Amino acid sequence: MKTSIEQTRPWQQWEVYRAVTPKNLIIALVVMIILSISAHNTEMDKAFVETSKAVLSAVGIGDSQVLDGALRFGSNAFPIQIAERKEISRLENFDRNNLPLFAYIETGENREYDALTNTWEVEEAEFLVEPIGYLQKVIAKMWETIEMGFWGTMISIMISLPLGILASRNYAPHQFVYSLSRAWLSFHRSMPELIIALFLVLMYGFGPIAGVLALAIHTSGVLGKFFADEIENAPPGPQLALGASGAGRLKVLRYAVFPHVLPAWIAYIQYIFERNIRTATVLGIVGAGGIGMELKGRWDLFDYDHVMTILLVIFITVILLEFLSQKLRKHTL
Amino acid sequence: MLYFDSVSRIYEDGTRAIDDVSLHIRKGEFCVLLGPSGAGKSTLMNMVNGVVEPSNGSITFGDIPLNKKNLSGIQQRIGMIHQQLHLVPRMSVLHNVLSGLLPEVGFWRSLIKSFSEADQRRACELLHKVGLEEKQLFRRASELSGGQQQRVAIARAFISKPEMVIADEPVASLDPAISRSVLESLKSAAKHHGATVICTLHQLDYALEFADRIVALRQGEIFFDGHPDELDDDTQAQVYELARPQLKTAEAVAA
Repeated sequence: MKTSIEQTRPWQQWEVYRAVTPKNLIIALVVMIILSISAHNTEMDKAFVETSKAVLSAVGIGDSQVLDGALRFGSNAFPIQIAERKEISRLENFDRNNLPLFAYIETGENREYDALTNTWEVEEAEFLVEPIGYLQKVIAKMWETIEMGFWGTMISIMISLPLGILASRNYAPHQFVYSLSRAWLSFHRSMPELIIALFLVLMYGFGPIAGVLALAIHTSGVLGKFFADEIENAPPGPQLALGASGAGRLKVLRYAVFPHVLPAWIAYIQYIFERNIRTATVLGIVGAGGIGMELKGRWDLFDYDHVMTILLVIFITVILLEFLSQKLRKHTL
Repeated sequence: MLYFDSVSRIYEDGTRAIDDVSLHIRKGEFCVLLGPSGAGKSTLMNMVNGVVEPSNGSITFGDIPLNKKNLSGIQQRIGMIHQQLHLVPRMSVLHNVLSGLLPEVGFWRSLIKSFSEADQRRACELLHKVGLEEKQLFRRASELSGGQQQRVAIARAFISKPEMVIADEPVASLDPAISRSVLESLKSAAKHHGATVICTLHQLDYALEFADRIVALRQGEIFFDGHPDELDDDTQAQVYELARPQLKTAEAVAA
């Protein structure tokens, strides 16, 4: 009989829903102000203006800084450069009668800048031209990048497998170990590869070691968490059954948990491998090996035709990779 | 060989799942536990393999008291067949059976699934005896039918040459014809190994057919204990009602 205390009103006076109220309006206003401040901070207004100018300029109205930049790259990027051109006088052990396959000799000008007189010196020189030499070099670099992704993934698995087991609530030997492993994994996860690579280049010097280790450290945090979560979610029945027959914890893990979690683990590893190769392509920018180093070097020399070759090779590789891993996934699952 | 000495199990909310039960299971017996759901059959069985600890009383296996220290030793001498099968679905039939040997195999050998030829032959023999064929040896357990999976579970329970096998509702979800042949497999395997069997069942007719001894439980207490022949019609009717709680409920719903 608690309803007797409450006042009841005739239905004509019941409070009904109102979409627009002063409170709603104020909230909307405040949100708009915050968004506009933030948008200005990130130059969203400028982005809108410049993009509009670019579109207008493309149809012939006015100039655009954005379009000029794109054209400056585009006009130098094509045709793409796949040949390698070397000055013969700088080559060691050069044998004129025994050229590499498809290579030929070309005479041309060699321009050299003289800083003292502040002029360009032009002299006649002979060049050895290998028609697809540069493409070969880029593909070799791309292969190195794929290998970096592979070893990054392998080392990542080696780190994350034991950590993942220790970080699963039901197989950690102690609550403290569990918390520590979880914290360790999220520490690994929280550091972006580029920043780890920056430090590792300082420690190991330029080259793929820094890249591989950076990939391994970052992705082991991701993989380890995936591994641990899968172990925790494995069905308890088979584990109880084997445990009750007297098998030890590790054997139960091997026989009742691994067969169940393996397909999911393989899917995660495949994803991480794919991701590592994509990331490895940019790690070279800080000097950590792979195709990114070549890209950065050519970009700084304004060799946009070479840059375009690199970009196309990366693009095709990533598409092929996507295609392959899709096929693999269908096969394994 | 298995003694329950005034064993009780009281849950934290005050439920007496097992109330002062004293029971002696003799060597070589095929003992069937009957009783409605919640009568304490599963609790009684889970006490033997250490999943549930008794609140009062003691359990003795052979002449070893069951406690934390002796538990793993006793677990290795008891084979288990579980209510929901509990095979590893994505593992082969052969390795599911061999996983019953895990306590005896070295860790590094077990890591790469390296079991001795003799062990594997024994698994094959057991699988053949319970009615599986060679072509099913490397199938995943999940690809088999319910009856076949239960046979694999029986083979797994017997591979470690246990002195006792505990079967919790081994035929709960199987149809009558298959239930009968699964129970026959269980009984002949037990006879062949000289193993004692404790088995919970729903169906009184199977209990009468296969059991050497029937123990009926009601609300955690022993209500009947004896040879199937000692069950007179009157008691039988009562046990029958106990063993068919679902029937009674169905009638109540119908009425």
